[in-house]
Amino acid sequence: MRRRSLVPIVVVALGLAACNGGEEVDLGDAADDEALDDVEDAPDDDPEDDPDADPDEAAEGGTLRAAIGGDPDQLNPHTTTSSFAFTVLENVYDTLVEPGDDLTMEPALAESWEVSDDLLTWTFELRDGVSFHDGSELTADDVVASYEFIAAEGDNAFRLDPVESFEAVDDATVEISLERPAPNLLEQLGAFKGMAIAPAEAIDAGTLDDEPVGTGPFSFVSFTPGDSVEIERYDDYWGGTAAIDGVHFQVIPDPGVKLTNLETGEVDWIDSVPPEQVETLQDLDDVEVGQVAGNDYHYLALNHEVEPFDQVEVRQAIAYALDIATITEAAQFEAATPNETAIPETSFWYFDHERFGTDPDQAQQLLDEAGVEEGEITIDLMVTNEFPETVTAAEVISSQLGEVGIGVDIRTEDFSTWLADQGDGDFDGFVLSWIGNIDPDDFYYAQHHSEGINNFQGFADDEVDQLLDDAREETDEDTRKDLYDQAAERIVDQASYIYFYNSDIIEAWAPNVSGYETRPDQATRFRGVSLED
Amino acid sequence: MSGYVLRRVGQSLLALLGVSIVVFALMHLVPGDPIRTALGTRFDQDVYEVLLARSGLDQPIPIQYVDWLTSALVGDLGVSFRTGQPVSDALMQRLPATALLAVAALLVGIVIALPAGIVSAVRQGKPVDYAANGFAQVGVSVPDFWYGILLILVFAQILGWLPPSGYTSPLDDPVDALRRLILPAVTAGVVTGAILTRFVRSSVLEAMSADHVRLARAKGMPSGYVLRHHVLRNAWIPIITVSGLQLGTLLGGIVVVEVVFAWNGLGRLALDAVVRRDYPVLQGAVLLIAGVFLLINLLVDLVYAKLDPRIAAS
Repeated sequence: MRRRSLVPIVVVALGLAACNGGEEVDLGDAADDEALDDVEDAPDDDPEDDPDADPDEAAEGGTLRAAIGGDPDQLNPHTTTSSFAFTVLENVYDTLVEPGDDLTMEPALAESWEVSDDLLTWTFELRDGVSFHDGSELTADDVVASYEFIAAEGDNAFRLDPVESFEAVDDATVEISLERPAPNLLEQLGAFKGMAIAPAEAIDAGTLDDEPVGTGPFSFVSFTPGDSVEIERYDDYWGGTAAIDGVHFQVIPDPGVKLTNLETGEVDWIDSVPPEQVETLQDLDDVEVGQVAGNDYHYLALNHEVEPFDQVEVRQAIAYALDIATITEAAQFEAATPNETAIPETSFWYFDHERFGTDPDQAQQLLDEAGVEEGEITIDLMVTNEFPETVTAAEVISSQLGEVGIGVDIRTEDFSTWLADQGDGDFDGFVLSWIGNIDPDDFYYAQHHSEGINNFQGFADDEVDQLLDDAREETDEDTRKDLYDQAAERIVDQASYIYFYNSDIIEAWAPNVSGYETRPDQATRFRGVSLED
Repeated sequence: MSGYVLRRVGQSLLALLGVSIVVFALMHLVPGDPIRTALGTRFDQDVYEVLLARSGLDQPIPIQYVDWLTSALVGDLGVSFRTGQPVSDALMQRLPATALLAVAALLVGIVIALPAGIVSAVRQGKPVDYAANGFAQVGVSVPDFWYGILLILVFAQILGWLPPSGYTSPLDDPVDALRRLILPAVTAGVVTGAILTRFVRSSVLEAMSADHVRLARAKGMPSGYVLRHHVLRNAWIPIITVSGLQLGTLLGGIVVVEVVFAWNGLGRLALDAVVRRDYPVLQGAVLLIAGVFLLINLLVDLVYAKLDPRIAAS
């Protein structure tokens, strides 16, 4: 009978748990889970407080029970880094402009805007009669306060990089002065909910962490960390009152259990579906699957600062040796489209380019030219169990490269360790994805410009630098597209990244949910949703 | 007796201090930090350095530890890096869910283990003994998430009798709380029951071979009477000890069950804190779990000493 001594085991167990991933940050795959909800099937009325719900016509009403795979860190749009927070905040906050169905920017809080001839001054006219959830009117001061906070604080400041100043000309007019032309300013202001407009007063008081106040179709009710978030319909929403009374977001970490909650009617909507489940789900009568081609891309990056990956021939050889169709199939089943470039066909910025295909002979020849002997290279390939598809992809990569005599050591890490190693350059290669891609400046400059903050692979190419610098300020859209096409061609050719595929966005909901659409930018908009009995 | 109690309390506090040092050191030695993790892939060195300095994580680790300890001693466990929530609030919010699940799982375990263990000891070598042993073997070998998923499949998906996951406070809705408690409690309880069955069996066997039991038998006392008055009375002590330890383990160690059943408890809080490198939350959670564990251990020892006065005397 030993009686002490279990405490160290608890500690060690927790320490070991460090090798396991969770939800997180701004990567691509929020992929999981559902929620349960204790609201039963009550046709309306939140279980708790619901002061101003269902008064008017609300023939349908009801609370949508939505399951999300992880819990938001907090609900301040200006500082949160959790994709789960944005699943909620999409419905609580608005931006000046917002992506329409084709992802071009459309009026939201700004009704119209003008650009000066020198392209350095943007003037936005705010929509009339917009009120915050606390009842106060939206004014230009709120817009200025929001942007000034974002520019000064935290990790979204880069989106306002070209801005010199913000000014409230009058209550309904905001003027943004730029240091250099920014053809993608609208995308920077509207494609991401982190650029939300909040009341100046709440920003100054620093109360947004605990009490979100937006202008969106739903207002915040409560947040139980680790468990749930409750929002309710805002009756004075400028875009037309929502049909449902509110949304109850329930955190369910396990993807399979989340799905079971949907199938058993415990929840009405789930935030993502593991790709391997899609086929099974499509056969079920009581589940609707929303699947669209997303703009997210998945890729392999080699460390250009480590020999022999500094030689372009070696990187190209690896690209030739890989069969991205097989990688795609293994990692995402049918739920992705192989693509040698970053952006899918559905995007304006798509560049139709097949540079490598699969050609092991060509790979071998390039390796010979580079003076690499068979068996000489072993890639220290870093992947993370936070995103299981990177582990699967690595296994396929390993077997394919084995055929041209390149070894692969797969190093699977938890995401925090992975990020630290990435920052330290401690890798030969890594597999990752990039999400939320709407404007190419966003996804090319930071990753492929020699000065780019996310250029962890150490790519430095004068030609690409020049193209990206020019495109950044080019205001003619077709010329800009042409510059990015040239950049894309060069990035692929030099194998700065070896792109694999664009993954689909997959969500699922119960048949009684109507008016919801899965969007390529993964914005979860419940304002048009109604629930039938 | 009071000297014994003081000594045991002192040992517990010392152990707690040790735990806090080990966890602090381990967490900071593991690569990654909460700021880097929160910034994720859109990493900007300048932003990182500003946030790091603001967080105090750029200080030497011993200084950070002393700062933490000084605050902790006056009851301030800091705030979460990830959520900004005070750590003590986060812990108190999760503790009831975990405590409920742990106690329920222990009850399930005891309900399984007592009859199974006693019967299998009394009928040693008979089919029922093999059956109980078989259960114990399977129970400890098969991982709990597997039972969890199996139970969800059968009772939620196929039969539709119980909700698949989630926690409701019994104070809000006792009926729903019970319905949601059953599957996770059985999942964790099966494993506990399997472990306890072996202890109950071996304790009873050991007690049965004691001289006074054989004497009682030899005197022709009815076997039920011998079992109740001579065997079980002695077998209780190790059983209580192990049950107490199991409760402690359940309080800290049902991470997997909490994840599978979306149970908003301490285990998940600690796991998330590890994954996100949320040092203050992890430190607080481990301290609380270790503290509760030591407290239960202490209580078990005191009960033990009460049941068997020789222990306190030694």
